[in-house]
Amino acid sequence: DTVERITGPRTVSAFKEKGVLSISEFVIAGDNLVSKCPTWSWESGEPSKRKSYLPHDKQYLITRNVPCLRRAASVEEEYEAAGGELLLDNEDNDGWLATHGKPKETKYDEENLPTMETLEISKKKTIQSISSYFGGEEEEDIPDMAEYEESDNVIEADPATLQSTYLVAHEPDDDNILRTRTYDVSITYDKYYQTPRVWLTGYDESRMLLQPELVMEDVSQDHARKTVTIEDHPHLPGKHASVHPCRHGAVMKKIIDVLMSRGVEPEVDKYLFLFLKFVASVIPTIEYDYTMDFDLGSTSH
Amino acid sequence: MAENENKPVLQFAPFQSSVHEGFWRRLSSLKLDILGIDQAPISITGFYAPCSHAQVSNHLTLLAESLPPDANEQASLEVLSLGNRNRCPVPGTLYNTNTLESFHALDRQSLLKAEAKKIWEDIHSGKAEEDPAVLSRFLLISFADLKKWSFHYWFAFPALVLEPPATLTDLRPAAQCFSPEEAESVSAACNKWRNSSSTADVPFFLVTIASNLHASIRPLRDWETCQSDDQQILFGFYDPCNLPNNPGWPLRNILALTHARWNLKQVRFLCYREKQGFADMGSSLVGEALVSVPQGWNDPQCVPNVVGWERNKGRNVPRCISLAESMDPTRLAISAA
Repeated sequence: DTVERITGPRTVSAFKEKGVLSISEFVIAGDNLVSKCPTWSWESGEPSKRKSYLPHDKQYLITRNVPCLRRAASVEEEYEAAGGELLLDNEDNDGWLATHGKPKETKYDEENLPTMETLEISKKKTIQSISSYFGGEEEEDIPDMAEYEESDNVIEADPATLQSTYLVAHEPDDDNILRTRTYDVSITYDKYYQTPRVWLTGYDESRMLLQPELVMEDVSQDHARKTVTIEDHPHLPGKHASVHPCRHGAVMKKIIDVLMSRGVEPEVDKYLFLFLKFVASVIPTIEYDYTMDFDLGSTSH
Repeated sequence: MAENENKPVLQFAPFQSSVHEGFWRRLSSLKLDILGIDQAPISITGFYAPCSHAQVSNHLTLLAESLPPDANEQASLEVLSLGNRNRCPVPGTLYNTNTLESFHALDRQSLLKAEAKKIWEDIHSGKAEEDPAVLSRFLLISFADLKKWSFHYWFAFPALVLEPPATLTDLRPAAQCFSPEEAESVSAACNKWRNSSSTADVPFFLVTIASNLHASIRPLRDWETCQSDDQQILFGFYDPCNLPNNPGWPLRNILALTHARWNLKQVRFLCYREKQGFADMGSSLVGEALVSVPQGWNDPQCVPNVVGWERNKGRNVPRCISLAESMDPTRLAISAA
């Protein structure tokens, strides 16, 4: 098939021994992710950055417009303040094990999440837009802005246009602010570490590009200091935040060992589901799909 | 004016835009290498998908691939992922000006009317039934300041205005509107449509439910042939909106089409939304709209009024993004030193 043709003879799998993936195994695991979680797709990226060792239409995986309702940093503070233990990480980078089997949402109290209802209620109070780094044109650039607004009232007069979607409720003394950022999460193949690598591109409430530094607010604070860095994306233009892959193989090896100790024989096409579950401990509030409502492997007993 | 037999006016959540850095980078190199001071409009492609997360709406997104490829990249055209379910292509027109003054001096109302005219003509010619994405045709005006690496821009999503506006007789989650058997059959039919590479990125369609409750999805052009059968027909569209009580913007022009082409006064529609990439009858909406426009509104020679300039945080102002941090060679040299 295509994969075989491009990568030549299949290499011996180091998946179980080292937690790493060959190029063809990455494509197999990616195909499985796309078929089980269709919000993910393969893309080809910038033609000039194309890697010859990957199929041209399967250069990297991406899921776009993923909601991120709260900053990871504030979720961790609240969790600690409520007397909870922080399960996210420890020195061995295997803190994910402590959360194994729990959906990531349960790490914080869902009832504290702003919902559409709370937004509706707070609309009656002060309404202002949350400022963002990138925004409208500077006032001085448009001396005639007031004129603009008055002269263009067609849409305001249109009764069929819903007016309120751009407004964000804001209560100065209440932390219950809807801070709905969105993320494009992409997965590339890192040839040196032979593992997948995750990249984050963030957008603010009005879908303007977030500075990569602000993306750090959505990374678990241990990782923000240690393993998440801002680098050139291998297939897209610009600087993006990325989870450095140097420990991925070791962490994946531990996950695989735990599964095998429970009598589950891990299958290589499930690699990305396990990987994304581990990544969820690094970016706990970015709600990408990695549902696993099927067996991780064949159970041997 | 807002009342029609005391029924509420059908209100649509505006489409929202999202532009990726790659788009501005490619526009910059096009401007420097090929376009020069040429200000002729450029055909571009936006991408969108049905809402897939209950918390956020989807956006009309511009990527590097939204612009025509460089001459030496022609070979990569084939790769432009046809049938990618997460990237349904929508045609657009870009007017990029040479100065900030000419950007502000653009006659935005005329440009919007010109796009509306294209949509109106595509409705009357039947093209919209063959290639329904043209109903969501959009407009972008911009000024690329390549000295400061900042980009001023403004989107419009032209919507033909029904006057008086359509009213709503019913709008509920599809799961409440359909019987369990119907909901299951509609879900299965939608998932099949979304999983086939030939239809995955076709954002308007017909949902037919036969008397035995079996649902199927058909292309818009099959409307005439569906008439003879004893079945319910809904107009379905990929809804980028996540709100529980409002359909998204693309429904506006399909309602204009159903009235202009088939003189429908009562239209059932399906706002198709997904959860984790699969049909979700809990968040999808089924509604019924009443359209009663005066005689002559359908005149092909007479383009209806149009609205659609995107608001920026509730205000009628353009947007501006600075990419100096990542694009300005001087700053890059300093940060690298």
